Amino acid sequence: MSAADGILLVIGAGVVAYAVLGGADFGGGVWDLLAAGPRREAQRRLIATTMGPVWEANHVWLVFVLIGLFSGFPLAFGALARMLAVPLAVALLGIVLRGAAFVFRQYGGALGAGGGAASGAAGWGRVFAIASTLAPASLGYCAGAVAIGRVGSAFSVAAGALALACCAFLAAVFLCREAVVRGEPAAAGDFRRRALGSAVVAGGLAALALPVLAHEAPGLASNLLAGAPALMALSAAGGTGSIAALAWRRYRTARGCAALAVGALVAGWGVAQYPVLVPPGLTVAQAAAPEQTLPVTLAVLVAGFAVTLPSLGLLFAIFSRGGSGRRGPA
Amino acid sequence: MLDNLTAAREQMAFSLGFHIVFAVFGMGLPWLLLFIEDRYIRTGDRVWYEMARRWCRAFAVLFAVGAVSGTVLSFEFGLLWPTFMERYGGVFGLAFTLEAFAFFLEAIFLGLYLYGWDRLPPRAHWWTGVPVAVSGMASALFVTTANAWMNTPVGFVEENGVVVSAEPIAPLIAPAAPHQVVHMILAALLCTGFGVAAVYAVAMLRSPVKRRDPYHRRGLALGLVLGGVVAPLQVIVGDWAVRAVADQQPVKMAALEALPRTGSDAPLRVGPIEVPGALSVLLHGRRDAVVTGLDAVPPADRPPVGITHYSFDLMVVIGFGLLALAVWALWRWRRGSLFAGRWFLRAVAASGPAAVVALIAGWIVTEVGRQPWIVHLRLRTADAVSDQPGLYWYFYATLVVYAVLSVSLVTLLRRLARSARSESRVLEPVP
Repeated sequence: MSAADGILLVIGAGVVAYAVLGGADFGGGVWDLLAAGPRREAQRRLIATTMGPVWEANHVWLVFVLIGLFSGFPLAFGALARMLAVPLAVALLGIVLRGAAFVFRQYGGALGAGGGAASGAAGWGRVFAIASTLAPASLGYCAGAVAIGRVGSAFSVAAGALALACCAFLAAVFLCREAVVRGEPAAAGDFRRRALGSAVVAGGLAALALPVLAHEAPGLASNLLAGAPALMALSAAGGTGSIAALAWRRYRTARGCAALAVGALVAGWGVAQYPVLVPPGLTVAQAAAPEQTLPVTLAVLVAGFAVTLPSLGLLFAIFSRGGSGRRGPA
Repeated sequence: MLDNLTAAREQMAFSLGFHIVFAVFGMGLPWLLLFIEDRYIRTGDRVWYEMARRWCRAFAVLFAVGAVSGTVLSFEFGLLWPTFMERYGGVFGLAFTLEAFAFFLEAIFLGLYLYGWDRLPPRAHWWTGVPVAVSGMASALFVTTANAWMNTPVGFVEENGVVVSAEPIAPLIAPAAPHQVVHMILAALLCTGFGVAAVYAVAMLRSPVKRRDPYHRRGLALGLVLGGVVAPLQVIVGDWAVRAVADQQPVKMAALEALPRTGSDAPLRVGPIEVPGALSVLLHGRRDAVVTGLDAVPPADRPPVGITHYSFDLMVVIGFGLLALAVWALWRWRRGSLFAGRWFLRAVAASGPAAVVALIAGWIVTEVGRQPWIVHLRLRTADAVSDQPGLYWYFYATLVVYAVLSVSLVTLLRRLARSARSESRVLEPVP
């Protein structure tokens, strides 16, 4: 394996991490938008308290992927920016408004508080929810366009819908567990129903997207089934497993299975497309930065993750502990 | 309608100018928070505790807006300047890769710091703030290093516009990096110090009883000490930076000083005043020293002089103004009347916004002064810009979104300050 392949592997792992962790945060916004029933505000509060400490760290995966790409594969970065200018700009709009609206709501007045601050906070809550829906749909559209090498295809649209459904699915499954940890069984029931529903939708969309892909990019579709059958099988097993675990109310297992379902799907796409970075013909070797820089970049990536991954583990460990202390920011 | 080059340059200038304001408070505030929380842990004094918790809220909002506006920049590199990234991304990318990890650590520990007040023991909580403060500084170091590389590109070999080889650590050895990094970090501390002091000065001006309130007195003193210590250092580093620019980018220097002709006895122009020979003396210590003028290069290779020169003068004037304010504060403090004078408090209230204006002016100096090059003497900005049709729409959209965010943010920060003020009435008396 060359240094360029090593860098690509790390960037690919970053894409998978962003799809699962960032995806769950976007999905939280989707469920904020779709919050319904008598426990509407409780659902929104659960989403906000779950996301609060971790969303910025989860967001950094995206920045990391962009920077890794332009440091390691500058030609691919340029080609992708040219090809995806419009959908990337839409995704960026969603990302900016999502992040800003989240803190504006969080610090502009507590959820459900009275007075003028509350109406402002409710407005930002809507912005947060809509932007959280816009961003993953656009990013999924971009992913679909990268897979087949052009924008404006039916598969891009299918990929956008699939990405949105995956985010909603991940968030609902993660929130089941959070609700139990925080002693809110009723909310856990709400999100269990949502998780099961979105699992069916995401699975159905994945099944529908495959023939579209086979029609528009037969090469990639056959690679996906022939070159990455293990990952595709893992993804399907993860999806089925998480439905079973949800049915049995085993939320920790469901969380792991859901992450596996989405992570393996994204990884499978990467494996199927390798070594092409931007279809039809820009490969890893052609797009790579000057050769002398690659081992150093790879070493920096490895050393960097040796520091950041344990820190990230600490963050998740501290905030997945239930119970103690008052909640809420600063 | 704007052409692509103008639209892309305006958008980049606008989004950098927006981001940098949040970035500097994201760098400076954690150090103040560490100091304040440490005082609380050592003394148990609730005034310090309240101060830390309040600044934490403001910091959380500023950091989040800084993070998303920074993400905008990493997209814009590709959306606006694809040629630049294709050609040189692999050469100076290392600086940004390092920055990405610094940002990662900052975001991770920020989550722990902001939400960990009631979950962690006090000293453990304090320690989660340390990586936030250190990573913020490291981010600035790496980003400014990348910019310094654009000013003084080194460490690569090019044939016919294609980079054929590059040193792995090219951006880290850019000659402009040392002075730019130090100048930037001091600017962040300067903005934070005077910015914090200004908040308390405004409160004291509105409600004179607060001039005797320990919470407000400590807040004002804290900001003034930070700003006052940094102000003289920044003047010295600024002098170093100017000499380095004269050496590394003489035409940029000519634009800073609006010097049309190369020659000895070069004059210094500040506003309408012109002091013959002063620029030669300032840069080289001798009146007969030759200083490069704009005429050293053809007109097509000269930066826009007006905006560069006036931004430079504005920055320098504000820098000396802040230095004078620091001296004034020291003098009042020795007389024991730091919090008494209306005019002094007005000056402190103005110093916060003034420091931010100087920051943006300085950024304009370094960016516009590098034009018409995106990579000095290697790639023209006009050749790096995207050929995407209708690039101006992105610019207009950016203007609208950032205008909405700015208005909302100011409203929110004012509300946070107001709620802090109303809370402070019920604050327990200091033991």
